[in-house]
Amino acid sequence: MKAKDYRTTLEPVWCTGCGDFGVLKGLTQALVDLEIPPERLAVISGIGCSSRLPGYTRSYAFNSIHGRALPIATGLKLSRPEITTLVVGGDGDGFSIGLGHLPHAIRRDVDITYTVLDNGIYGLTKGQSSPTTEIDFKRSRGLAGPDERPLNPVLLVLSTGCGFVARSHAGNLPHLREMIREAIRYPGFSFVHVLAGCVTYQTPSYGQEIYQRCDVLPQGYDSSNLTAAIEAARSDRFQLGILYRRDPKIGTEGAVEMAGVAGVWKAHAGTDRGIEDVAHEE
Amino acid sequence: MTAPATSTTPESNRSRPGGETQSLVLALVGSGGDGVALLGDLLLRMAAQQGLYGMMVQSYGPQIRGGESAVILRVSRAEVQYEGDQTDVLLCFRLADLKRFQGAVKLHPESAVILEQTDTAELPEWTGRSDRETFRYPFAKLENGIEVVGDPKNMMALALLCSVLDWPASLARETLGHRFGHRPEVLSKNLAAFDKAHNQATQTAPPAMPIFPGTGKGLFAETGNEAVARGAIASGLRFFAGYPITPSSEVMETLVEELPPLGGSVVQAEDEISALGMVIGASFGGVPAMTATSGPGLSLMTEMMGLSSMAEIPAVIVDCQRAGPATGMPSRTEQADLYHAIYAGHGDFPRAVLGVFDVVHARSVMYKAFHLSERYQLPVLVLSDAYIAQRRQIRDPVTERREAPHRDVWSPGMGPARFDIGGEHGVTPFRVPGSPEGTYLAAGIEHNQEGNPTADGTIHQQMNQKRFRKLGAIEQDTKDWFRTLGAPSAPLGIVAWGSQYGILREWVASHPEYRVFLPEILHPYPLGAFEAWRKNLKSLAIVEMSFQGQLHHYLSGLTDIRDARSVTRSGGPPLKTSELKRLLEEAMR
Repeated sequence: MKAKDYRTTLEPVWCTGCGDFGVLKGLTQALVDLEIPPERLAVISGIGCSSRLPGYTRSYAFNSIHGRALPIATGLKLSRPEITTLVVGGDGDGFSIGLGHLPHAIRRDVDITYTVLDNGIYGLTKGQSSPTTEIDFKRSRGLAGPDERPLNPVLLVLSTGCGFVARSHAGNLPHLREMIREAIRYPGFSFVHVLAGCVTYQTPSYGQEIYQRCDVLPQGYDSSNLTAAIEAARSDRFQLGILYRRDPKIGTEGAVEMAGVAGVWKAHAGTDRGIEDVAHEE
Repeated sequence: MTAPATSTTPESNRSRPGGETQSLVLALVGSGGDGVALLGDLLLRMAAQQGLYGMMVQSYGPQIRGGESAVILRVSRAEVQYEGDQTDVLLCFRLADLKRFQGAVKLHPESAVILEQTDTAELPEWTGRSDRETFRYPFAKLENGIEVVGDPKNMMALALLCSVLDWPASLARETLGHRFGHRPEVLSKNLAAFDKAHNQATQTAPPAMPIFPGTGKGLFAETGNEAVARGAIASGLRFFAGYPITPSSEVMETLVEELPPLGGSVVQAEDEISALGMVIGASFGGVPAMTATSGPGLSLMTEMMGLSSMAEIPAVIVDCQRAGPATGMPSRTEQADLYHAIYAGHGDFPRAVLGVFDVVHARSVMYKAFHLSERYQLPVLVLSDAYIAQRRQIRDPVTERREAPHRDVWSPGMGPARFDIGGEHGVTPFRVPGSPEGTYLAAGIEHNQEGNPTADGTIHQQMNQKRFRKLGAIEQDTKDWFRTLGAPSAPLGIVAWGSQYGILREWVASHPEYRVFLPEILHPYPLGAFEAWRKNLKSLAIVEMSFQGQLHHYLSGLTDIRDARSVTRSGGPPLKTSELKRLLEEAMR
């Protein structure tokens, strides 16, 4: 199959020059590499410009509600482990309204690949600040500027135990293709942070400017070293590549099993006992 | 199962008042750690083993754990769904603990009262008085006037109550064995305490109650939450996600034990939004799925309910109602989520709402919920409440039809687009991931027949028509989903729903001038049946537990019931017959 075979007939609604086009392309190329049949593929999103992407991907696609793609993907993957399950979305969808789900998806380590198209702005609602809008953000419209520090998504997912963390840029297609491909290959929860421009609500050159602030991780970088990954995540410049890849111990089946009898149940064991029985039984 | 053949209390100087009776109510009160809940549970199991029916409810403080605890246990020769009006046996380890349960104990002249020997306090006025002498027993172990840990009080109480009820000690030992067979140390400690007290009981002669034989045919006890969980499993449930919340948590806890062995998954989600999201995700994958929650969780799930209906993905949502709003009274019952279940959510979308009558009904109503949800590809809400959810009720052995509900599934070459508007009853074949050539876009955004986003008002109207055709079809399918009680010619009518079934069954038995209509499906409402039922009524009362009278107002929007009287109050303790009598008299005046 070719990349275009993973496309539906729908024309994207994105602005000309939008970074999301690059991600759609990189994603479909990665699917070609992995030879995933469309009927075995689910692409799930919440709401936002980038959340339109599932509609353009030949798959069992789901354009759900704002911020809630991860729970939906979790339910699907746990009940249908043979379906390759991808989540895509933007920085507002994933790091603002939907952030509460992210650490838990990471904790459960269900085999989902979550690709965030981060353009540091709310595009669909016309230019409000997002959790990754930078303090020195130069707006093209007259909305009030943010005075809050942006959050660092890569540092966040590393700190919550994500087993696979990569970063790429929407303008570097070969790199993006590789990152998404490797993330899908990873048998556990994987996270790909993609820097993307917004030509309308950031400056038209924002995508390029961001790219100037990127470095590809050096040769010999050890992606199994969490400390190195955290250091790379804290760098002033954006480090591109597989920042962290933990040795996967739990595959898809393991994840299902884990969710069925998660350790948390130990605290609730013996459910047919009355609530006050404990004192006399111990 | 062994029937209680002979008495184990040989003494002859005790009189058993009343002769053979139909039911007995026991109130067991103690502090946290006294094991009152376990005591009630053991007694209920013993009743079931003897072929007696009954039910047990527990009362906690607002914090659920710790503090005082009371158990009301009613054993009966017929099925009961109501805890009864009067207390036949009161057993209280510490009178100070009784304070918080005002109204829960109501003695009559022949009640047996068992209190702590060293407790010098008197019964409070509100309990009423028994003409029989109070029996005092040294449950507490004292050293220098201070209570220290001694033998388990609940085991002593079990021995005494065996004597009071004339239940065989062998049955108690057997029940303890079942309960603690997997923990031999706990078992032997409890058995030792039981035997010691049992020997004493035969000498000290606690008050006796009427002899009360069961059929000897073993019965089965479960809680409303267990019945919901097991009914769902039998109806094809294979994925559950939930978030802990009183009074629904035991649905998830039961499923954690019982669903994974059948190949299903259970997830404790990070919140209720996620819980319903996971359910929708699993169901998008073609797997029957549900969640269970209580009011606050249902509030969080509201946006997801709309998604389920809009994207036409089946989902079953159980709401064990508690007293609201906000945090409300988590352990107390109420019927005030009716508006929310029927109306909540932005925009127009179809859903169905069912009500649970009692523990036995919980299993069959789950089957109906899955049937509707899978058949019509929309959210179905099942309204239970704390009174059913937390009650342990004895029932006949289950004969379950393990029959998966039917979802119309698309296959290659079948034709219609995922959201084809021409489908019968608005239902189009569901495209399950994995099916070649079936890929499509499911969306919460308005979409055309293929699933592609649209902002066309004409399509929006057409799609609403398609989705709401399902509701019309459901109305046809469910027009006989209701129960009636009493004689069809009785002049006074009551409409009620959910757990009011229990008290009304008994009310009608002793008040033949009443007939009762109880919808099993609340939305769409079985209006035709209701109109037929209420012909020639002299007056009509709507009995519910909601400050606003939500059922009353809801019905007012469906038909002309301008003469109906509202018999309602806020949630809290369940209605008692005496209160119902007063409220009905006031309303019907």
